[in-house]
Amino acid sequence: MAGGIIIVFLVLVAIVGPYLVQNPDTYNSNLINPTFSRPYGPWGGISLAHPLGVEPVNGRDLLARIVVGTRYSLGIGFLATVLAVVIGVFFGIIAGYFGGWIDAVIARSMDVFLAFPLLVFAIALIGVIPNSAFGLSGNTLRVSLLVFVIGFFAWPYMGRIIRGQVLSLREREFVDAARSIGARGPYILFRELLPNLVAPILVYSTLLIPTNILFEAALDYLGVGLIPPTPSWGQMLSNAVSNGFYYIDPMYMIIPGLAIFITVLAFNLFGDGLRDALDPRGH
Amino acid sequence: MRRRSRLAFAACAVTAGLTLAACSSGGSSSSGGSSSGSSASGSTTAAFNSGVNTVVNPSTTKGGTLTYGVAATPDSFDPGNTYYAWVLNLNRLWATPLLTYKSCTGGCGDTLVPGTATSLGQVSSNGLTWTYHIKQGLKFEDGSPITAQDIKYAVERTYDRSVMENGPTYFVNILTDPKYPGPYKDPNGDFTGITTPDQNTIQFHLQAPFPDFNYVVGAFSQTAPVPKAKDTGSNYQLHPQSTGPYMFQSYQPNKQLVLVPNPNWTQNEDTEARQLASKIVVNLNMNAQDLDNRLIAGDVDIDAQGIGVQAAARAKILSSPTLKNDADAVPGNRAWFTYLNTKVAPLNNVNCRQAVEYAANKTDLQTAWGGPYAGGQVATTLLLPGMNGYSSFDLYNAKTAPTGDLTAAKAALAKCGQPNGFTVGASYRSDRPAETAAIQALQAALTRVGIKLQLHGYPSGSYYSTFAGAPNYVHQHNLGILQGGWSPDWPDGYGMMDELVAGNTIVATGNTNIGELNDPTINSLFQQTTKPGLTTAQVGAIYGQIDKAAMAQAVILPNVYATNLLYRSPAATNVYAFAPYGEYNYAVIGASS
Repeated sequence: MAGGIIIVFLVLVAIVGPYLVQNPDTYNSNLINPTFSRPYGPWGGISLAHPLGVEPVNGRDLLARIVVGTRYSLGIGFLATVLAVVIGVFFGIIAGYFGGWIDAVIARSMDVFLAFPLLVFAIALIGVIPNSAFGLSGNTLRVSLLVFVIGFFAWPYMGRIIRGQVLSLREREFVDAARSIGARGPYILFRELLPNLVAPILVYSTLLIPTNILFEAALDYLGVGLIPPTPSWGQMLSNAVSNGFYYIDPMYMIIPGLAIFITVLAFNLFGDGLRDALDPRGH
Repeated sequence: MRRRSRLAFAACAVTAGLTLAACSSGGSSSSGGSSSGSSASGSTTAAFNSGVNTVVNPSTTKGGTLTYGVAATPDSFDPGNTYYAWVLNLNRLWATPLLTYKSCTGGCGDTLVPGTATSLGQVSSNGLTWTYHIKQGLKFEDGSPITAQDIKYAVERTYDRSVMENGPTYFVNILTDPKYPGPYKDPNGDFTGITTPDQNTIQFHLQAPFPDFNYVVGAFSQTAPVPKAKDTGSNYQLHPQSTGPYMFQSYQPNKQLVLVPNPNWTQNEDTEARQLASKIVVNLNMNAQDLDNRLIAGDVDIDAQGIGVQAAARAKILSSPTLKNDADAVPGNRAWFTYLNTKVAPLNNVNCRQAVEYAANKTDLQTAWGGPYAGGQVATTLLLPGMNGYSSFDLYNAKTAPTGDLTAAKAALAKCGQPNGFTVGASYRSDRPAETAAIQALQAALTRVGIKLQLHGYPSGSYYSTFAGAPNYVHQHNLGILQGGWSPDWPDGYGMMDELVAGNTIVATGNTNIGELNDPTINSLFQQTTKPGLTTAQVGAIYGQIDKAAMAQAVILPNVYATNLLYRSPAATNVYAFAPYGEYNYAVIGASS
């Protein structure tokens, strides 16, 4: 419940927030002590004008960067999840229903994906893609790439769960009944089986979102995420650590860290609650 | 800790008559476990930046252990195989080239003086032969005499890049017989680029006149003698035969180097180095944060890499009056630049480049590089302050309008035919936090006049070979603005500017003339510096003109003259900033005792 309320709030922040805050790229050098590169005043320069303080070195408003960062974080996490769910459900249903060699091929490829050193691969892949490709360029390309990489490698988790569910569903009487009146494969898959899978799909996609958000933050942290000066939670954390700002301005690390923490916790709580309500036996 | 206290006490007994009071205070505080007390024996009161232009703790006292720490590993301790500034600085303790830099404070340190040679090189009238005479009676650490053949052999072995891959390649590029494969592959071959008419004379034969040849000989340690009998190829770095005041006692690569005084070295032979500490320890491969903490705690006397402390230690040092007194913002023989490419539209128009110069926010750029102490001083020229020919001119109002002269920038944009600004690509090394901050500061500043930068981050390992230093790539990706820096191989106008703005230095990969400036006036000025018979002042005046001409072309936006915030232990003596390396002068530091 609490998770749901926070998610609604986060989604609102992501949608309307960027129009309410100041420009996240505006420099406020007058708020920075150049000798130490850190904001004047305690708590990372928190003031009425900058409720969460400002970034070290350049004095960009931290609230604005967190809020605009919410849009990227949630957006990428959500889109990647949609991609993972679509691929995962499609292959999961097919593998579970048809069985035999089709199941063997799909299940083994899911194993391959799960055993893949995903983070290393993602870093390498994003590293070699040029700044413009596939008719996209700059940040648009990066966002699409992140969505693709995260979503494409998350589908086996969804696929395995769906496959397991279908394995038990396909032996049920209503499937036999449909088959006996002459229904073909696609009809059974998407009209008979899919509606019965809504509950696990909802539950596990809700639980997949926070994993994807964390993964996006990790990629940003490692420097293969969004292009500066785009606000990003992971890059703020990375900046705080690699420059040693956590020592001279700990708020710069704590605030984006809290943002990631709250978001991930909210989605996990919500997903758990959803599971309890829709799928009590799914534990 | 305990060891240093005891040594301090022992030395007090020796010099009791002169420094009794100082020593007694030193003794009492060192019993508390701190080495700071022993600093009291120095005669100068240390203050912030006092090591930049004066000698801190001048002393001729011998003894004690001096400890260096390095948050890195050397490219090689073999004098023929290193290009790192800190290694070149440190290896003057065991490797004496023909010429070396004069050990003195301020810009005087940029002066070349004889090392193993008796005087600077004498050039023949056609400019093609440089002759050096070697001091009589010099010895290796084992007592065997140093001859001209040992120096010739030292240079010969650097020709084999499969064994000696790190050092500079000036000799191969400048001397005759460039195809010589080196003594390892061709043990019986005769290298004709260098001749040794007798035991104490060595002659270098050039393909073309090279007025700065003394720097080629003196700025690196490749002319430090190497006895052929003791050469073990790539393993020679484990124990190079010392010609300086110290020799290797033990060396564990990636861990520790221990140096002890060389008994076959005398002060008379080499006036630029000192043999003070009875032992010098260099701890390698330390964690950067740990090194800073140990520096402040007194376990380590000097950070040998000399690139400055981390942000945490910077805050600790600069906010504590006591610690700040033991720190210097040392000018770092390096400038951070933004290159403006003359081939990428619309920056192919000089007015558009000048608009960038005017609109840049120098204060924000300085803060991005680390502020006035850890980053550097706002730069307006290509030559570094103190170099021959430097003058402090300011074509783009960086001093009067440090946050940017937007009126002038807009006027320049209008002249360029882009009154509303333009969009252009900008490259930087994304794994360098300060460079990332700098390009974002420039991006924010240029937005004010409508110039939009599309940032392209690249890995620093291949930045010059594949990206910013590859003109084709730069043109294809519309990279008009390229962030970078420059550290000259030797501190004069040629070392600083030739690679940056001379038209003949543009190459397809590893290009350093990143603006691709090929300006006839500047090219002919570089030609003029090679005329024989020019005085130092005349050469300096020409370099000053080149600097002004290149700045008028707005091909480089100088960010800062880099400074490194260095911490010197109060226990170290004779500490001062050494201009050619932008670090302390490791050849003269002693341990107070």
